[in-house]
Amino acid sequence: MARNITYREAINEALAQEMERDDSVIVMGEDNAGGAGSPGEDDAWGGVLGVTKGLYRKFPGRVLDTPISESAFIGAAIGAATAGLRPVAELMFVDFMGVCLDQIYNQAAKFRYMFGGKAVTPVVIRTMYGAGLRAAAQHSQCLYPVFTHIPGLKVVAPSTPYDAKGLLIQAIRDDDPVMFFEHKALYDLSGPVPEESYAIPFGEANVVREGGDVTIVTLGRMVHHSLEAAGELAGAGIECEVIDLRTTSPLDEDTILESVENTGRLVVVDEANPRCSLATDISALAAQKAFGSLRAPIELVTAPHTPVPFSNVLEDMYIPDPQRIGNAVKTVAEWAR
Amino acid sequence: MVGDAIVGVTANPLSGRDIRRLVTQASVFPMAEKANMIQRMLTAFGAVGVQRVLLSTDLGGISAAVLRAIGRHRDRDGIWPDVEFLEGQPIRQTAQDTIDAVRRMVAAGAKVIVCLGGDGTARVTASAVGEVPMLPLSTGTNNAFPVVREATIAGLAAGLVATGAVPAADVTSSAKVLEVRVGDRTETALVDVAVCTERHVGSRAVWEPTTLTQLFCTFAEPEAIGLSSILGQLSPVARADPNGITARLAPSAARQVLAPIAPGLIAPVGVAEIEPMRPGDTHAVDATAGVIAVDGERELTFEPGQRPEVRLRGDGPRCVDVPAVLAASARLGLLQPGRRLAGSAGPGHMPPTSPSTLRRYT
Amino acid sequence: MTGTQEHTALTRDQLLNAYRTMRTIREFEERVHKEFATGEIPGFVHLYAGEEASAVGICSNLNDRDSIASTHRGHGHCIAKGVDVAEMMAEIYGRQTGSCHGKGGSMHIADLSKGMLGANGIVGGGPPLICGTALAAKLKGTGGVSVAFFGDGASNQGTTLESMNLATVWNLPAVFVAENNGYAETTSSSWSVASDNIADRADAFGMPGVIVDGFDFFAVHEAASQAISRAREGGGPSLLEIKFTRYYGHFEGDQQTYRADEVEHARAELDCLNRFVGRVTQTGQLTRDDLAAVDTEVSALIDRAVGEAKAAPLPTAADLLTDVYVRY
Repeated sequence: MARNITYREAINEALAQEMERDDSVIVMGEDNAGGAGSPGEDDAWGGVLGVTKGLYRKFPGRVLDTPISESAFIGAAIGAATAGLRPVAELMFVDFMGVCLDQIYNQAAKFRYMFGGKAVTPVVIRTMYGAGLRAAAQHSQCLYPVFTHIPGLKVVAPSTPYDAKGLLIQAIRDDDPVMFFEHKALYDLSGPVPEESYAIPFGEANVVREGGDVTIVTLGRMVHHSLEAAGELAGAGIECEVIDLRTTSPLDEDTILESVENTGRLVVVDEANPRCSLATDISALAAQKAFGSLRAPIELVTAPHTPVPFSNVLEDMYIPDPQRIGNAVKTVAEWAR
Repeated sequence: MVGDAIVGVTANPLSGRDIRRLVTQASVFPMAEKANMIQRMLTAFGAVGVQRVLLSTDLGGISAAVLRAIGRHRDRDGIWPDVEFLEGQPIRQTAQDTIDAVRRMVAAGAKVIVCLGGDGTARVTASAVGEVPMLPLSTGTNNAFPVVREATIAGLAAGLVATGAVPAADVTSSAKVLEVRVGDRTETALVDVAVCTERHVGSRAVWEPTTLTQLFCTFAEPEAIGLSSILGQLSPVARADPNGITARLAPSAARQVLAPIAPGLIAPVGVAEIEPMRPGDTHAVDATAGVIAVDGERELTFEPGQRPEVRLRGDGPRCVDVPAVLAASARLGLLQPGRRLAGSAGPGHMPPTSPSTLRRYT
Repeated sequence: MTGTQEHTALTRDQLLNAYRTMRTIREFEERVHKEFATGEIPGFVHLYAGEEASAVGICSNLNDRDSIASTHRGHGHCIAKGVDVAEMMAEIYGRQTGSCHGKGGSMHIADLSKGMLGANGIVGGGPPLICGTALAAKLKGTGGVSVAFFGDGASNQGTTLESMNLATVWNLPAVFVAENNGYAETTSSSWSVASDNIADRADAFGMPGVIVDGFDFFAVHEAASQAISRAREGGGPSLLEIKFTRYYGHFEGDQQTYRADEVEHARAELDCLNRFVGRVTQTGQLTRDDLAAVDTEVSALIDRAVGEAKAAPLPTAADLLTDVYVRY
């Protein structure tokens, strides 16, 4: 039975259901309950944007607040994973990855490989990403390309409440280290979500809109901007196929290539910065494997090569918006040699 | 013996963490060591039959460490008395915490109050003990008053007095105190009162002798550290002496002394007129404005017209004489299990040994 | 250790400046608190109200050749180090005339010409930076001192601990200031700091650690003066733990359900500005008229800053792409 709940609630529900099912699942992070040692409520925040609210009381002893010591507590989550727990640790803003990156990419990502297949590290690191809240340069980045680059890590970025719940349940059940990216501007987004538990496999993109003229490959919040652009473009007679990647590692190449072979025109929409990004990655894939099908150069709609600016007007220019996406689609649609 | 043998213990988490760490080579006295001292005392208390110990709570980690130790305590480490942490009052991290705790211990019937800290802690504890004997144990940076004593031994002494095995009257004596009055404010000092040209309490500590114009001391021992050493080198006065001593100070005075006024700080001090202080005499403060430091900490500001006064009194807190307690114990065989005590020859009053002590050793 | 420091009491001008700076911070923060509630200020702000004695007690011992690094709660340090108040307000409003041309916001205000290395959005981000400026001052012989402000939350951050260690090993002219306002977001410092006193950690890194009453300007000023002289004279780094409370939440919008009544108590009984006023009027060093004149000045300054900020131009499309590099 599906009913409308928010992206935030869907994540909370995934955690609660998995914690109910499996005793080895624990949650940790800064203010994940909120109020540790403070004179007021013990569950004061439930995470800085309320995502883990209520879990503290439902699962006593399994929701741990931490000091602000990412190297220490992300490392502890990883070590506990090798010892039989299934920790879901929160790296509050992915912008903070700098202070604990060694634990993630040199330890968790490489244990299985370095130890000849003898280690299992079933850790999930949930983290917030994305611009739009005027949180400025150090709290708004999309750093999934960095993690996508690392062999040994899986990278997941849901765009809807339905996907958020299903992908997080999958992430917790998955035996590899997973970076689970939650777009902070999507927490209040409401959508249909089944009450029962379900898992969405990794590496299976979702074709959220079918269309025969132009393929738009995207993920996260940009799925919604792309759909908005697609709606407008339909009025101008251009039908877009919008593909929501859901996971960047593993990547659903087949769905991308099938669509590009059909439309011959590709626009990649990626909120991250342009160099060494998801956008360049997808476009290289298409150029390499669907070259014969392409009828126009590939258009990339991304943020500029700058840090995220603070002021309202600047941030709005930074984020790929439906208008820019629409312009890119028109460019490939009208392109002729 | 009337009532339970109860000992109160208060430890100051903030002693040894003031500006003296920057301006002198003051000792580092870790919280862990203060907690260890308390544990050593608990073992000693248990050995001599103390039934209950009341412990102050603090946010400095001392009571938390003792609580953890109680959780890990094994029988073969010795029997510990019941420990009650004084909770339910707000901790403001000021001297008031010590005052509140000591008052509660006194009200609860503590027979001895042990305080861990420096001169400041001893002074504050003294202001709240009333008639209950105290045993100041040294930690902290400025230690003219509290004794440097191994905590186990101090624990035995406090325990023997608390159980009544050694009568308090035989082994305690009243310390001299200096009473300072500024308008309607009064402070008492156990060792020294210094008049400072500083205008504000600021970081409290006194380490610049050039700012001092007048000094009053209850005693001045040549081997003590702190401001009293200024006079201790020139005109020693013992703790047991009924008088105190006072002097005017000026950097340019003819008589100069190199005084160890703080750990690692030996400073030249100019001393002008020295005179004794007899109990009850009132001495005026010459300066028109400034700050008065009690036991090495700036405490009372005064402005023109307020005319502060200092008076020596002989009726300060009763302090436990640890060597005297342990000597009495040796004489009376208090730490010799199995020895028959009733009817034994020996000087002085001999109360029955606490039954619980006998239980442990038979 | 230097047995005989020259001891100078604060002059009338120094006291007035201290008051003016503290009052400016307080009025700035209270005004931002008000304006933020209208929804016009984008993003997040973290207010320093209540903590003024720390920034001013310390920075009043510094000059332009000295550096400081700050935290996300940086408005107070900026003002205390001499950053232009109107430009700060414009920055908070995201205007082109702001300290950072609208590209940094509240958490990233900086002015390197004044030795202000910036507010910092990363907890524990400052201490490593300050080791760098201290090293440069030492090698160039400028005599400059570098001060790292960080919170009780950051006192648990590896970068802070690593920086303290390095500063002692290299004998750097640095001072580490742990502003312990009792909370790292919602989590109390008594819970999260294992040694309970941050000052206790100094011993582990070979430097003296001192606890200071953060509600008392004079206590902070005195302790800072000693720590800074020590650093300047080659005596190495030290750690000051300032204990006080913040009057507002972690950020504006924080419902603060994790707190009890400590703010009311602090405002009524401990407030650093009230205590300062009480002391200087009691000693006669300043009069109530002197202080009232400063209050009027400061009020006008803040009003002007807000008015200018609201009227200032927003950044343009061209601004989006500039100043990523010196030359690209």
